[in-house]
Amino acid sequence: MRGTHRVQFEGRNGADAAEGTTILEAARMAGIILESPCNGVGRCGKCRSRVSLDSIGNVMSPANELLSEAERSEGWVLSCEASINGDVKVFLPETEHAGKNMKILEKGLGFEIELNPGIRKAYDPERNVTLVFGARAPDSHAEGPSGSGPEALIGTEEGDTSRRAYGLSLDIGTTTLVLSLVDLNTGRELDSVSALNPQAVYAQDVLSRIKFASEPGGLETLRSALIEELNGMISLISGRSGVPKRDIYEIVFSGNTCMLHLSSGVNPETLGMYPYTPVIGGAKLLEASELGIRGIAECALVYLPPGISAYVGADITSGILVTSLFERAGVTLFVDVGTNGEMVAASEGRLCAASTAAGPAFEGMNITMGMRAGDGAIERFETAGGEVRAGVIGGTNPAGICGSGLIDVVGELVINGVIEANGRFASPDSGKIPPFLADRLTEHNGKRAFRVEGDVMLTQKDVRQVQLAKGAVRVGVEYLLRAMALTPSDVGRVLIAGSFGYHLRADSLINIGLLPKEFAGKIEFAGNTSSSGGKAFLAGRQYRELMERRVREIEVLELADMDGFEKAFVDALSF
Amino acid sequence: MANNSEDLHKKLSDAVVKMEEDEAVALSSEVVSNGFDAYEAIDHGLASGMERAGVLFEEEEYFIPELLMCSDAMYAGLDVLRPHLPSVDSEERFKMVIGVVEGDTHDIGKNLVKIMLESAGFDIFDLGRDISPEVFVEKAVEYGADIICLSTLMTTTMKGMAKVVELLKERGIRDRHKVMVGGGPISKSFSDKIGADGYAPNAAEAVRLAKTLCEKVPVGEKYGA
Repeated sequence: MRGTHRVQFEGRNGADAAEGTTILEAARMAGIILESPCNGVGRCGKCRSRVSLDSIGNVMSPANELLSEAERSEGWVLSCEASINGDVKVFLPETEHAGKNMKILEKGLGFEIELNPGIRKAYDPERNVTLVFGARAPDSHAEGPSGSGPEALIGTEEGDTSRRAYGLSLDIGTTTLVLSLVDLNTGRELDSVSALNPQAVYAQDVLSRIKFASEPGGLETLRSALIEELNGMISLISGRSGVPKRDIYEIVFSGNTCMLHLSSGVNPETLGMYPYTPVIGGAKLLEASELGIRGIAECALVYLPPGISAYVGADITSGILVTSLFERAGVTLFVDVGTNGEMVAASEGRLCAASTAAGPAFEGMNITMGMRAGDGAIERFETAGGEVRAGVIGGTNPAGICGSGLIDVVGELVINGVIEANGRFASPDSGKIPPFLADRLTEHNGKRAFRVEGDVMLTQKDVRQVQLAKGAVRVGVEYLLRAMALTPSDVGRVLIAGSFGYHLRADSLINIGLLPKEFAGKIEFAGNTSSSGGKAFLAGRQYRELMERRVREIEVLELADMDGFEKAFVDALSF
Repeated sequence: MANNSEDLHKKLSDAVVKMEEDEAVALSSEVVSNGFDAYEAIDHGLASGMERAGVLFEEEEYFIPELLMCSDAMYAGLDVLRPHLPSVDSEERFKMVIGVVEGDTHDIGKNLVKIMLESAGFDIFDLGRDISPEVFVEKAVEYGADIICLSTLMTTTMKGMAKVVELLKERGIRDRHKVMVGGGPISKSFSDKIGADGYAPNAAEAVRLAKTLCEKVPVGEKYGA
């Protein structure tokens, strides 16, 4: 008889699930995010969990080469493949809790915002009312196509409230959300909070999310999950800062094109199919109440900055704004590395952009012992004076390796000859490798591997994943420069944005060949420019009109359509 | 020259594995000038080298650039030897159509699979990328393809693979064409779910799968001019 069974996650919630439900699905029902970068098809092994031995009989778990016999006998299963036929008690691996201590960068490049917020208040002493103006009427009320209209009266309040005007900038990352509270009278940031993007419970990466949204009810599930999380974050930031929610008049959503579709309830299906066309291009002003955002000023608005293309989104527009790419003299290259690497080359006011499928290696996924930048992750690795120094987040025993650590390790191994130009581990007794590194060459599951620190291994397959990821970014950089008739040595400044963080060493990016060696000494880390750009759009309405106009001047390269792309990509795979 | 044909086969195989294009050409010319059998030189030499390269690729010893350089050497040798093959009716080789499914333009993986299958003697019709299920089926019928080989890198376009299988069923020709699938987001369980005949995680495995699906490629007629 098919019934409902209890899946209890030790120390966490549980879920009542129908027979045949997988543990991964049950975790999602319980609101627990398990890493599942392969989209739950049993290939990555990141969703492994351990079932208590007294309930293992209630689990059907097919054999999978990612689990050894010993592990299976201890109750380890792949959550995506293990289905239940009775009550089950599940222990989640420690890395699952890393989310609580996630390192998220909230500081951006210094950019002086000229204060001229989208919301303006004017007190009328004769009537003793305060008039609230939006930068323009919300799009649903505007006549004709959305665009820059005149300022519009959106609300009237009793008495003089002109000193109370606050706004929020929400950076909607595929993985993380960062909400910042800004005093619109001073332009000062009062507080910020971050959280995991709850949509990751349903689908981890952008493409999986597009697929999920195109299934019945999927879009609404993803939209409402995000808005509920936002409502919770607003309560938190309001409570912490003492700013009443009703004094919040505007929110800027900064995120990639898919995230802006999902947050405003627009089906992103066409982003996932060639020719990859967005339904909305941003540059929209919506009513917050219509999106389901609660408790803030009734007349509050949500602004979506303009995007550039399906895979070069409003988050990059934000980055272009705060790094002043249009205004810079000389040649500047802006690179945001995540699952998709987005890059923009700027030369004397001319901008050209591209995106490239780097895959999730730099986020620690697809890597045998890869993990996100949480406690226990090796985030830094150096070799000097005959010894190895590894930096572990939280100072604990190393549990895995995150993106910056991965790039450091591979970079150090390449310059020390442990990894050869073709990506292979050298033989430990070749005599060409420093002994302290040769000692760490070992085997992992019968294949050559490098022991990074503690029990954390870097396998040959991991090196191959790094080659694919860095090759994708490198070939994008080369084509961008070529399209502008430039060479790497013409580039004066390289700005790295996004999740990589300040602790990544610029040298490592060059050592692994993600960037050409001509960039040495020119690389700077710009932090989370999606967030800082969102704040600029919030506090300075002039930037909206400016960027809405300027994004149209940006050329976008479709790399896969370029002549010789495949050969260039293959060439970029070597170290 | 003292070389017997077996020595040459071994050297040809090694030249491919070592990515030595000029060497492959020189050795192939030697096969011809000695009047040795061109077909055997391909089968025991060039194709054997490519098979070894595929194993090294699977073992992560070789990566995409090496595999491509090996195939450069193989094709260079093939160009020399092909004119010396007895012409055979191409009907006798196993035929495949291959392509990237609709909505996806990422074709590097597909191209690798194609090279490996070609080197294993399959007759390949490459349909390219962004190919609709209808076109896959039409072309498979038109060419009399034994196997339809589908590739995608994008999660969002996987459903096109299921459509190919459905379309074959609708037309009542499911039993005439085997369907094999592969690519970044694809797995064995997905292949089973949509009712495909097999899934291969990499280019070397794709060859083994294709051979299994065809049972056995007939010896002697794989390299028609």
